Amino acid sequence: MAEIKKSSIARRLYGRSNGRSRVSMNRLKILVTVVNRPKADFYMDHIQSFGVNMQMVVFGHGTAPREIATAMGLADSERAVIFSVIGENNLRAALDSLDEKFNTIAGGKGIAYTIPMSSIIGKSIFNFLSDNRDAVRRNEA
Amino acid sequence: MSAFNHEVIFCIVNTGFSETVMEAAKDAGARGGTILNARGTANKEAESFFHIAIQPEKEIVMILVDSKIKDAVLHALYQKAGLDTMGRGIAFSLPVEDVVGLTPWKAVDMDGKTIKMPIFKKPSETTEETK
Repeated sequence: MAEIKKSSIARRLYGRSNGRSRVSMNRLKILVTVVNRPKADFYMDHIQSFGVNMQMVVFGHGTAPREIATAMGLADSERAVIFSVIGENNLRAALDSLDEKFNTIAGGKGIAYTIPMSSIIGKSIFNFLSDNRDAVRRNEA
Repeated sequence: MSAFNHEVIFCIVNTGFSETVMEAAKDAGARGGTILNARGTANKEAESFFHIAIQPEKEIVMILVDSKIKDAVLHALYQKAGLDTMGRGIAFSLPVEDVVGLTPWKAVDMDGKTIKMPIFKKPSETTEETK
């Protein structure tokens, strides 16, 4: 009996036997976007339209060699790094849109990539980060 | 969207050593990076016990690299800016997915010739060759 209880607790804590987390709906990822500083607000507003509720921006500067930097349209070395928490459901649309913006906007060149989030604790935090408005409405009703 | 696998390398060094980091990374095949200013924290009690001072001003260098050259870059950072050097650097990498906006490698040197991307072999491959 104790063994069964132990294994069920372990499963609850560490996920199913396939190594994946128990939560499979809309897994969260960190979207990292590096852009020129003057374009930071524009990209933050744009990313926010893809159901992103929390973003952080950190200012830094780039180190790409001059010839590559100018070829990429990055004349200024001041950069903004935007960290956004985004749900997997909205990721594809956000990345496609970012890719298009990087290639079309003058001085708007940048790079973006995602880092998967392995764990998060707190139901309300998860709902907030994944923009799960229905769950909140259900709770209030 | 990039078809290749990429990794992002974070290297945390004392302020002023980000150029050392970038030089080492570029020698190992990296193209560019982003430098962020940061402040480190340390255990004050341990600091006084071991009679060492931890400089709180840090720089975080973020370098996106092809996963093929990740090991070469990390080795270079360890040797040129590791904990044994003045930079007191810590470097680690995270796998990243869905990279967008990265231009294909096409650098031109002073003579106008295109510089090809350096090929690095894993330590295991080189040891097999020497055998």
